[in-house]
Amino acid sequence: MPGSSTSISKLQAGGGRITLSSHGGKAWISEFSATYPLKLLSPRLSDSAVAIVYVLTYGGGLVGGDCIELTVNVESDTKLLLLSQGSTKVFKDRPQQRLASVQRSDYASRSTPGQAPATLQNMNFTVSSHGALFLLPDPVTCFRSASYSQIQTFRASQDATIVILDWVTSGRKSLGEDWVLSRYYSVNEVLIAGKRVAKDVMLLENNEFDSDSRLNRSLAEKLSPFACYATVILRGPLVKETIAQLTTRYGGISIMQRKAPEDLLWSLSSIGSDKENGAVVRVAGKETEMVKDWLKNTLKSLEQHIGVDVYRRAFV
Amino acid sequence: MDDETFLLLLLSDSNLPTGSFVASSGFESYIKHGFGGDQNNRTTMFMRDSYSAYARSALAFVSDTHRIVQHVRRDPEQGSEQKSDLDKHLQKIKEVDELYDAMTLNDVTKRASKSQGVALLTLYSKGLTPPLTTTGIKNLKETEIEVNSYMASLVAQYKSLVRAESAPGHLPICWGILTGALGLTLGKYNLTSQYLHIFLHARSLLSASVRLNEIGPYNAQQTLLHISRSVIEAEVVRCKDLRTGIPSSTGTDPDQPDGVDDKSRGPANTWPLGEILAARHDLQHSRIFNS
Repeated sequence: MPGSSTSISKLQAGGGRITLSSHGGKAWISEFSATYPLKLLSPRLSDSAVAIVYVLTYGGGLVGGDCIELTVNVESDTKLLLLSQGSTKVFKDRPQQRLASVQRSDYASRSTPGQAPATLQNMNFTVSSHGALFLLPDPVTCFRSASYSQIQTFRASQDATIVILDWVTSGRKSLGEDWVLSRYYSVNEVLIAGKRVAKDVMLLENNEFDSDSRLNRSLAEKLSPFACYATVILRGPLVKETIAQLTTRYGGISIMQRKAPEDLLWSLSSIGSDKENGAVVRVAGKETEMVKDWLKNTLKSLEQHIGVDVYRRAFV
Repeated sequence: MDDETFLLLLLSDSNLPTGSFVASSGFESYIKHGFGGDQNNRTTMFMRDSYSAYARSALAFVSDTHRIVQHVRRDPEQGSEQKSDLDKHLQKIKEVDELYDAMTLNDVTKRASKSQGVALLTLYSKGLTPPLTTTGIKNLKETEIEVNSYMASLVAQYKSLVRAESAPGHLPICWGILTGALGLTLGKYNLTSQYLHIFLHARSLLSASVRLNEIGPYNAQQTLLHISRSVIEAEVVRCKDLRTGIPSSTGTDPDQPDGVDDKSRGPANTWPLGEILAARHDLQHSRIFNS
């Protein structure tokens, strides 16, 4: 039986599974399931070694109490590009669960009575030898008072490639939302051959409990003037060149005293003690579009591995 | 004066060789990149965001390492079992250290953290263990001598691991080792080690601010006494229950959730802007600090 499961996993609300297997040089999706409110789409592609899956939610957003649990297996010699369609919008907590739901997962049932549960996305990725995973979703946008947690765990072989993009924006500009979310918590943990090499944890909170208003710094003040923050984790054989390009570009930057901040800033660091093991890029921009364009240009070298047509679908 | 108070005075001495003199905690880069508006408020603004971010990312590691070393202190094993126990404790500390390394994805911060970390271990070995000549030293109990000797061993061996690049030797972990080895623990709420760590971080930042000509030396003292204090206290109290998720002992620890990294109780980066600016430190055309 193909794929890594020998029995159909019990489905819970918001659960999903994707397995990409290889057969005769072609990649095919051997496991593909999702329950409401999660939805998965996979367009047929001409390039046989690469597959695309769009990860969506019904209604285009998540509400309080939603719990998405996605398991992704990228088997040997296959390449998977995971995308979304439009930014993941997170709405403020709501006390009721969605009307159309199969059995709620344990997480949602654990909420404190009287307190609306937050939104959770929990994703587990496995990438096998000579496999590649490109996770290039649109950013997460938390609306006013929204509370969101996202936990992504990546288990990869020594010679696997992963590109992880995780980004967040300040809210709906049209409604004047400027980092007025309640809580945003995102973890990206990377294990190579069983050993943890990176664990990036970002927590953005608007603290209400500081009694001294002089000390109180709102999220908007702390993150100003940028409306979008992105993190990209890259490691593996297929991104060696991209990292080398970034390193050269970074080394050429020289900052003299400025009167005011630039429109876009980025930094580059290594995973472990040197960039041979991978790199972490962080970008901040005054507008999401700027960051998107920057990412699209910077990751363009991925075209040689997934094809121009496939890459074009990212960052639309 | 009790032992602990004397230790606190000693550890807060600005002459203490800890290598923090060359670190601006990202402040130099912050200014160079044009952040903070006009000079009047820059230091206070940066300070507020920086202490909070640092406390949230590092204090859990100070606490957990301290706890491991404290556990050793409380029941030092006898005889031949001692060596294998030492290895066990070293491995535990190394686990916490490696987690901090994996969670601090910032080359500049890591570099500064490692150089200050090893400076603290050296400080303990060369500056805080009893000297070889014993004249003038008060009579220590047998158990105290044994504990001190075990601690000296622990620190020396951990330092070897760091020198051999088997362990990263990061600042929050080494601070936990140092204060645990010295027996610094009690005081209100069991927070002395954490409080001092943030205090020293705060003072180092103000000193950097003076050297960067942002504020004058009197203003720095004024800020430390009247403004920094409430910020430091708020942050230490807010972060006091944070844990890394790595258990401190093999037995059950009532403080520790079962190895689960609960999202509200773990370390995190809370200031992505500060992260980017700190990482970009080396991009400055000219700079006086190392980080």
